[in-house]
Amino acid sequence: MIQHFVPTTLKEALKILDERDCYIMAGGTDLMVQKHRGSGLLPNFDKDVLYVMNIKELDYIKTDAEGNLRIGAMNRYCELMNSSLVPDIFKTVFKEIASPNIRNMATLVGNIANASPAGDSLLPLNLFNARVVLSSVKGNREVLVEDFIQGVRKIDRQKNELITEVIIPNCDLNFYYRKVGSRKAESITKVSLMGGYKIEGGKIKDLRIVFGSISVKVVRNHFIEEKYQGKSVNELRARIDDIINEYDHEIKPITDQRSTMEYRKKVAKNLLRDFLKHVK
Amino acid sequence: MKISFVINNKKVSLDVEPSMRLLDVIRNELHLTGTKEGCGEGECGACTVLINEEPVNSCLYPAINAANKNIMTIEGFRETNEYRVIADAFADRGGSQCGFCTPGMILVTYSLLKKNPHPSEEEIRFALSGNLCRCTGYQAIVDAVKVAAVKGIKL
Ligand SMILES: Cc1cc2nc3c(=O)[nH]c(=O)nc-3n(C[C@@H](O)[C@@H](O)[C@H](O)COP(=O)(O)OP(=O)(O)OC[C@H]3O[C@@H](n4cnc5c(N)ncnc54)[C@H](O)[C@@H]3O)c2cc1C
Ligand code: FES
Ligand code: FES
Repeated sequence: MIQHFVPTTLKEALKILDERDCYIMAGGTDLMVQKHRGSGLLPNFDKDVLYVMNIKELDYIKTDAEGNLRIGAMNRYCELMNSSLVPDIFKTVFKEIASPNIRNMATLVGNIANASPAGDSLLPLNLFNARVVLSSVKGNREVLVEDFIQGVRKIDRQKNELITEVIIPNCDLNFYYRKVGSRKAESITKVSLMGGYKIEGGKIKDLRIVFGSISVKVVRNHFIEEKYQGKSVNELRARIDDIINEYDHEIKPITDQRSTMEYRKKVAKNLLRDFLKHVK
Repeated sequence: MKISFVINNKKVSLDVEPSMRLLDVIRNELHLTGTKEGCGEGECGACTVLINEEPVNSCLYPAINAANKNIMTIEGFRETNEYRVIADAFADRGGSQCGFCTPGMILVTYSLLKKNPHPSEEEIRFALSGNLCRCTGYQAIVDAVKVAAVKGIKL
């Protein structure tokens, strides 16, 4: 028989995870769908379940001494959208995730751990070089969200680890974000792009580009980004076609029930062009 | 596992699996069948209930997450003055046809007007964007929310 654990302290939770392999349940908006069996039936759990939404220590949105934003594993989109500490670009992204009802249940950490290629929060998290903190009885470690997600539902987490928080460094850039889906609300992303840039004295000081839903994980190519740092805005604009070509091998979408490979590829390139035209 | 919460202003303690969908707790354990099941996957909002005054989809809500919280279903909300204002507005504007989406629509309308008594059309559509209706084409529902806002909900 499977067991259910509802710890109220982190210490308790980590001890349980150290002793057994558990599903971890936060808001349930992914897990309850994945384990759904039908009306009136219990979800299909084949191993123990640990629930995190009673661990009050993991409920906070705060900034630390270095100016990083720190968000606990219990915090839901609705709370983040109402917090003055959360950067506007994150709020823009959250507003287009699921529906208001779901945003009252779903956590940011759940979106990261679910590691879907269409996870929308992963774009700003990648762009800001955000990190997750993984805790176990042995201690804590920090991993860049970019490295934490390794593929479709593949994450760098050991069985005894719990994600306890997300750390988002301060990042002062101009942003661009487009999510392409079938409709406004409740639409899973077909293609998305977030760009960030900073210009000083006509030169590019910082350039960052991330794509969603066009590969097994969010795509970010640091090599291409760095190549254009220090270049003038005019040069960047003159080389838009080259840049699109440079990203060609990164754009490897699939055909699924939501869209085709050809459509995704074309839209991804159009979004990239549109973003690069915005850089001024 | 024993799970306690307040539902429709009554304290309840139940022995249920923590993973049971709150929707099944409400419909099958407590026999409150005003909360509906459409998709069972978080997409339609027929199963909307308020938890601490916020609308959530009870079909994805594990029962244990409701422990010690305050749940309101359409049965409890029916007893309030606010319900009368909103229900009259829905009747007035034809905002309900088959009625399957209506409990959810009404609870979301209430939570919207409580936070924002004079919403714009865009804000109304945004607030209702997780609640689907197969009958009305939505305009009648949006109009009903506007009527309810004008009549005002004394809070
Ligand atoms: C109708 C609908 C529409 C949606 N639309 C969008 C959308 O537009 N964009 C989008 O990005 N997402 C969308 N989603 C998915 C989104 O709701 C989830 O990804 C959500 O953010 C997950 O958070 P949760 O708290 O519900 O996680 P859960 O479902 O509780 O968990 C998700 C995963 O994370 C793991 N996990 C949770 N917490 C921890 C932790 N502390 N440590 C380790 N692992 C953990 C779980 O084990 C599970 O694998 C949609 C979902 C639905 C039902
Ligand atoms: S039944 Fe819950 S959202 Fe459709
Ligand atoms: S009135 Fe029939 S679904 Fe809305």
